[in-house]
Amino acid sequence: MRARVLALIAPLALVLLSPTSALALNINENYKPQNEFRLDPWINIHIGGIDLSINKAVFYVTVACILTIVTMVLMARKMAAASATARPGRMQTVVEGYYGLIQNITQGNLSGAMVRKWFPFLATVFLFIWFSNMLGYLPLPTNTEHKVDIFGVHIPSFALFAATANISVPLVLTFIVVGSYHYEGVKAKGPVKYLKGWVHAGVEGAAAIPIFFIEVISHFVRIVSLSVRLFANILAGHLLILFMGGGLVVLLNLSIIGSAVLGLITGTMAVAFFIFEVGLVATLQAFIFTTLAAIYLGGAVAEEH
Amino acid sequence: MDLHLISELAQATPAQDVAQEYGRKAGKAIALGIGAGLGTIGPGIGVGYIFGKVIESVTRQPEMKDEITSIQWLGFALTEAIVFYAFIFGLIAFFLG
Repeated sequence: MRARVLALIAPLALVLLSPTSALALNINENYKPQNEFRLDPWINIHIGGIDLSINKAVFYVTVACILTIVTMVLMARKMAAASATARPGRMQTVVEGYYGLIQNITQGNLSGAMVRKWFPFLATVFLFIWFSNMLGYLPLPTNTEHKVDIFGVHIPSFALFAATANISVPLVLTFIVVGSYHYEGVKAKGPVKYLKGWVHAGVEGAAAIPIFFIEVISHFVRIVSLSVRLFANILAGHLLILFMGGGLVVLLNLSIIGSAVLGLITGTMAVAFFIFEVGLVATLQAFIFTTLAAIYLGGAVAEEH
Repeated sequence: MDLHLISELAQATPAQDVAQEYGRKAGKAIALGIGAGLGTIGPGIGVGYIFGKVIESVTRQPEMKDEITSIQWLGFALTEAIVFYAFIFGLIAFFLG
């Protein structure tokens, strides 16, 4: 117990006892944390004024897509092969867990034929977001700005980046979800009845007009909240890991003792945040996005809400 | 609207007097700090409330545990995201203001 208290107090004592110059702030102006998210073009492609260059984000989206497709195909093949033999393997347990999760999401929020229709879409969206989030926590050699020289070979330094840490990927996914639930709603009820359905059943007369406008606003807010939730969660997680895992030490540019103490504290926190992000946030955000997509799809076709 | 684009837009604005520039920077840093910091209070209370209620409901009806757990994470993620709305708007203010 005493040793633990000592271990906690020791860094604080070191900071207090170190010379004042150790704590003097001379912020490192050369270090720009936002450059970690800069998208340098790797291969320049410009078609009709539109920038279609291949960059880090494109690479991450592509890898996530390939992983999703390969996993899906592999799953289908393995399951087809496994159904012949009676014994369930490890793969089957994982797939059943995944299937059960998506089944919970769809059956809890959709009804009837909608479950069968939207199950594949929601399952794919979940897996795609999960893969892009998880890829973000693997350090990959993608930082072309700072190169490491190993035996004369310049290889890009390892960096964390996620496709979902850029607003465009979550936004496109959101547009797909929003487009499809409006489409389903109009198809199920017809355009007039669908718009009327936005106003709650009990509201009548003149009161319906402001309520209708509030609903219109809420449908736009859905676009913002659904995309920003995913984007901001992943971006904030990456920023936290970046700053805790050394960024803060480089930025504050303290003396050696100050840097060591700060590094020890923030480094420990970085490990904790990393575990939190990998263990909870990555999966939870994929789950949340899928669940909300299912809720919106279910709400659009529901008779009353 | 990724971080780099925001910062690039910010750098496009012409620099004025040095002292004024530092004042602006300080003001923006304080705004981001206070804004994002205050933004965590509400969701903090909310997340605590959710988990408190979950414990309460599970102790009352342990047989409902599985159902409550799935709703718990939904509520947790929805509440937690509000921190990041404050944070993102803080970043926009920081880099664009």
